[in-house]
Amino acid sequence: MAKPIAERRQGVGFITPLLVLMLAAFNLPILYMLTLGFWSKEGGFTFEHYAQLLDTPIYLRVLANTMRVSLVATLVNVAIGYPLAYWMRGLSPRAQFIAVSLVIVPFWISILVRTYAWIVVLGNNGMVNRLLLWSGMVDTPVSFLYNELGVMIGMANVLLPFLVLPLFAAMLRIDDRLMQAAASMGAPNHTIFLKVFLPLTLPALAAGTLLVFILCLGFYVTPAILGGGKVTMISNLLDILINQIPRWEQASAVSTLLLIVTLAIFAGYRALDRKVGT
Amino acid sequence: MESKMQRRTLMRTAAALPLVSLLRPATARAEVKEIRMIEAGGKSGESIEKGYGDPFTAKTGIKLVRESPAPLGKLRAMVESGKITATLFELGSGTMVHAKSLGLIEKLDWAAINPNPMFPEARNEYGFGYQYYSTGMAWQKGTKPLRSWADFFNTKDFPGKRAIPDYVGSAVPFALLADGVPVDKLFPLDIDRALKKLLSIRKDISVVWKAGAQAPQLLNDGEVQYAIAWSGRIVEEPKLVFNFNGAMADLAFICMIKGSPKEEQAAAAKLYHEMSVAKNQARAAEVVAYTGPSPDLDALLPKDKLFMYPTAKVNKDVQWVQNAEYWAEHGEEGNKKWETFKLSL
Repeated sequence: MAKPIAERRQGVGFITPLLVLMLAAFNLPILYMLTLGFWSKEGGFTFEHYAQLLDTPIYLRVLANTMRVSLVATLVNVAIGYPLAYWMRGLSPRAQFIAVSLVIVPFWISILVRTYAWIVVLGNNGMVNRLLLWSGMVDTPVSFLYNELGVMIGMANVLLPFLVLPLFAAMLRIDDRLMQAAASMGAPNHTIFLKVFLPLTLPALAAGTLLVFILCLGFYVTPAILGGGKVTMISNLLDILINQIPRWEQASAVSTLLLIVTLAIFAGYRALDRKVGT
Repeated sequence: MESKMQRRTLMRTAAALPLVSLLRPATARAEVKEIRMIEAGGKSGESIEKGYGDPFTAKTGIKLVRESPAPLGKLRAMVESGKITATLFELGSGTMVHAKSLGLIEKLDWAAINPNPMFPEARNEYGFGYQYYSTGMAWQKGTKPLRSWADFFNTKDFPGKRAIPDYVGSAVPFALLADGVPVDKLFPLDIDRALKKLLSIRKDISVVWKAGAQAPQLLNDGEVQYAIAWSGRIVEEPKLVFNFNGAMADLAFICMIKGSPKEEQAAAAKLYHEMSVAKNQARAAEVVAYTGPSPDLDALLPKDKLFMYPTAKVNKDVQWVQNAEYWAEHGEEGNKKWETFKLSL
């Protein structure tokens, strides 16, 4: 597999412009923002902002809240996304095209529009509640919005394509004959799924899940609108620290902590991946 | 005030800053052709243009270029990076005091502005209080009317969901009023007591809103029955009622950015003068129901609309005024307590 070194070096020249651009326009400013967290007002090096981070329980509580909401939203995504991708695999090519289009279309609509659309659908006077009231299934409107449930629904809607598309692609690559072979040896359906199909999709599932989880951590619009302001996530807190107060040093410390946690999760995933791979 | 309503990510603001500075070279010009103002946007921004920008341009030939929104972070980025891309910046009252302590704004030359008569609280050393707005209770017509803040917190006799602002300074004082603290004893605020009072109706607080447009939307949709809202967002809604009784009056200021070109600051003094003219303030009030600081304004406003305006005699007398100094000092501590409170909602 290893290419000759000369050939590998050749590529470097082509990506240098992009590399320089990324470093100068993206990485350096981020690095600068992160170092702000170590500057004191007088201009010297300090840990005071990190000390405050630990002294003020609210920052850590919001971070923990963010992790919890992200985890649940990711699990909801998996619970919906995996069966969806599995179902799409069995469709005719034409139906698959339509299904994939339906999954992708929301991608092209502004996240704000999509978020507000949920208010029309799930509000107290929304379509769903009116239907429920009319059918007599409930007496008072169900509170779908302005709580964690609303945030979960909104986040699942935004993030589903990030999970379904790679998962669907991985499932398409699985050779049907593997399942047929298992069946020919007398394995019942659920055994075929658990022992043959599921393991083959696990790498894509793990990668998609991780991607979705990390995207969840940075959500801002959805919790702000569908959470009714009561589901505070770390980006909402950062917005206050950066724009309202403005305490960039504290924001920098919070961001650094978030980055470390995210990298730790990613490292954990890589370690697990390597273990499974060998 | 409304700067808080229009949220942009830091990314977008940060991306826009270098662009703006590219478009406008820093070379000093002898003759000022335009001055730039960063303001809250929306209807409020339109009112600045129609009420004050247009007469200013007609008299001086200098254009007023507007840009929005105006979060404090943007001002800090501008002054600390030394890339000053505007002369004027809109700030809320508490934010202005905070910006002053951070050294982000200049003193105004009131002698050069030579304003027409204005309410004393609007004439600040560091800013021109150009727009009054009120924060108070609102509901849909047909809902059982509230008479006091105690009623707002009495969910037994006045059942229904509540919406409150996601700004600590616009929420906690009302809880204390409801808890029996008299207006003249409000400050210094007992924030902990206020949050305890708010927690007592936790089940009925449905939404904590961030954008000013949310409150009328929630009321119109029947999503909540009572809300603490900004007056200008409610009074022009046909189905909604705003109660000025016990409401909080606050001021938005136009401030001068530290380090902006001196000749532009001199030109801005003429714009400030236009902002003090009652006739211009009446034109601005046609665009948005927030009013300027002239004591002579009432006579120029349409009689049938007087009930809408924060400074109309009937309304001004029943309100109390926000304590900006207090929030400039306790804003950060208050915010921490507020965020903690929201986690237990």
